[in-house]
Amino acid sequence: MATLQDRPTIEMEQAVQDGFDLSWLQRLKEQIPGAADELAHDPTLAENTAGLLDESTNFTQRTRGALPRAGIPQYTAYTFRDKKEVWGYNLTKLYQEAVSRQWSSATDIPWDTLRPLSDDVEAAQCQLATFFAQVEFVAADVPGRFIAQMSPDYHEVRMFLLTQVMDESRHMEVFRKRALANGGGLMRMIDSVSDVTGGSTDNAREFTEMSSRLHIVGEGNVLTLFRLGELMAYNDAEKAIYRRAAQDEARHVAFGVLHARYMNECTPERREEIHAYLDEAEDRQATGNGGENPAARGANLTAESLAILLGGGADKADEGQKILAAIRQRQVKEYFQRLKSCGFDDRIENGRVNPALLEAYKAAA
Amino acid sequence: MTAQNDASAEHGLNPPVPPVDDSNPTGRYHSSAAERVQQDVSAGDALAPAAESADAESPAEKAAPSERFAWMKDTRQWGVRAPVTAHGLTVDAINIGIYGEIPDESREMTRMPRGSFATPGLPRLDNYSVNRKEELWSENAAWLYEEAIQRRWIAMQDIAWDALPTLLLDFELAWCQLCTELGHHAIAETDTIGQWLHRMNYAYIEPKMFLATEEFDAARHHEVMRHRALCNGGALGVESAGMVSRRMLETRAGWPETSVALYLARGVLTLLLYRFGAHYAANPVDRKIFSLCLQDKARHLAYGQGMLKYSVAVQGADFATSLRRILGSIEKDMAGELKDAVLWEALAIIAGGSVSGMKSGMAAVHKLRGDYVRQYVARLRYVGIGKRDDALHPDLAAALAGG
Ligand SMILES: [Fe+2]
Ligand SMILES: [Fe+2]
Repeated sequence: MATLQDRPTIEMEQAVQDGFDLSWLQRLKEQIPGAADELAHDPTLAENTAGLLDESTNFTQRTRGALPRAGIPQYTAYTFRDKKEVWGYNLTKLYQEAVSRQWSSATDIPWDTLRPLSDDVEAAQCQLATFFAQVEFVAADVPGRFIAQMSPDYHEVRMFLLTQVMDESRHMEVFRKRALANGGGLMRMIDSVSDVTGGSTDNAREFTEMSSRLHIVGEGNVLTLFRLGELMAYNDAEKAIYRRAAQDEARHVAFGVLHARYMNECTPERREEIHAYLDEAEDRQATGNGGENPAARGANLTAESLAILLGGGADKADEGQKILAAIRQRQVKEYFQRLKSCGFDDRIENGRVNPALLEAYKAAA
Repeated sequence: MTAQNDASAEHGLNPPVPPVDDSNPTGRYHSSAAERVQQDVSAGDALAPAAESADAESPAEKAAPSERFAWMKDTRQWGVRAPVTAHGLTVDAINIGIYGEIPDESREMTRMPRGSFATPGLPRLDNYSVNRKEELWSENAAWLYEEAIQRRWIAMQDIAWDALPTLLLDFELAWCQLCTELGHHAIAETDTIGQWLHRMNYAYIEPKMFLATEEFDAARHHEVMRHRALCNGGALGVESAGMVSRRMLETRAGWPETSVALYLARGVLTLLLYRFGAHYAANPVDRKIFSLCLQDKARHLAYGQGMLKYSVAVQGADFATSLRRILGSIEKDMAGELKDAVLWEALAIIAGGSVSGMKSGMAAVHKLRGDYVRQYVARLRYVGIGKRDDALHPDLAAALAGG
């Protein structure tokens, strides 16, 4: 960091005599000692949230630490202005990782490795791609809505969510591209998104409700699948799509887990409520309702597509179903791991966890 | 042969859907109004691969799977092979055949991917209020989306922060004030787009995806401006007057109306402030920061203007008049911001090189304010809103005259 040379304020006095105001400049000079603290919160440096206000009174879109003005309408009326509603751990690290690992679906996928596939396999790949083209941008629309309602004093949260908006846009189009690149086409939209009267990711009005459902369960299920993309891929292009999407998805899931861990540690009074969100989300994981688990038994279109891809053709779909059952077990294992990581694993022991998930877990053990 | 929706009627698995015709391919899209305007999205070479594929057999017909996989027939167009271009497999490249048909209106209230096989009887989401093409579409959105990704940069890696030289305190603080203002612009942009993105219908994914890149850019702009203000011995400055930001956030009428505030009233100023910073940068580090932001901002304006121009062209003179009317109140706030001493004095210090150079620096400030109003008016005319200089708010007219 550069050091500064002060200058005599006689220049300022002269400028004021010339009709300039410059009171703002004096206010900035008084700000300098505090700037080091602000810099300590900055994305370059290790996270230091000491001094970060628990409650934000910033209703005018100023960056945290900027000097407020008197008499400005408090026009943003942010809904989320309490640190305990939105905060999490490792936010700056996740943000920096996200910006470092951006990729282009146009040029970073080796599209030239696509080769004609048998029609059943191509159809299965296209059906799965249609599903992802349908659901991926949910995780952009919804965080976008929350960002607009959240005080910029918690810009670490907002900025991470902005990277997610970008990532999900890329996920939506990379799967659309896949469906239209190899002699196939888009197929049938899924019919499992039905819960539009409340209790869904789209309709959530509470940040932790949204995050537990979206980041931990919905994206967690998809992450397990993407991680196993090698099993569903028939060429390097598809492998690259799943691998890169998995890397992005892992960040989104990590955000959810680290938010839940923060909530567990800092708002123990909300543990029961968060368990209730998990009750609902687990039901969706087990049934496939809400489109939140394409591998679920009830998610016919995507589960059958996965069985064909995993088995190696429509005639080997039964083999594929066995692999899919193992994938479901793996989803549950990874989900239980996330519960442990954020401190909500008591539900595994005390019988609250969804029985279908527990059954799958025990079968895997 | 292309499999059609009604093929599903043969199978018990999927209920039948109404027959479709070309102008109404899903039963929930409508084409009519925008035909006055040239829209030729699916013409020419782009159609060739799909036209070829129109003869391709559906996978079900070829593979003849059991009833169990009846969904394999459920595609509206099969045999599509989008070409990989010199720029890779772009979003424009996959807009072929029915997949590139952009409906004038979409009453499809789910997240059905455009061109996919509709599943009837699904409940509607309550999300969408932006359902007509002329409310958000810009022909350049798909290309700008890919460009945003290709030209991404990383604030903490691509800027040589350690090479920032020592600046005199007042001069440094003037830069800090400019950065504080621009950090606010980025936050206001984020909030504004964030409250509209989920309201945009899925038939129009290209602008939705472009706006995702604008959100991401805004995160970077906030990051880089905030860091610049804090990292060189200065401090964050006084918050923005924020009057136009409030207009952006509180406009409920529609996305075009919001965009007039976002891109023309505010975006033009943001663009010129980045240009000002790049021009008067006292070192290569600052020059690079402001130049990179300028490049991003130019992309945002390219979308905003393209969208407004299309919107006005389709909706006609009445709509242009309505936008002109809302400009009255927006201009009042633009004029209010022009009077605010904080930003303009900071710029005078930057252009003049010091507090004692402020008087001479004011010439650059007057020029910037004049450019702001001039570009605002020129861009209004470009998009078809048409604003006479003598109809401007008096303070804007004065700025235009160099006041
Ligand atoms: Fe995703
Ligand atoms: Fe995700």
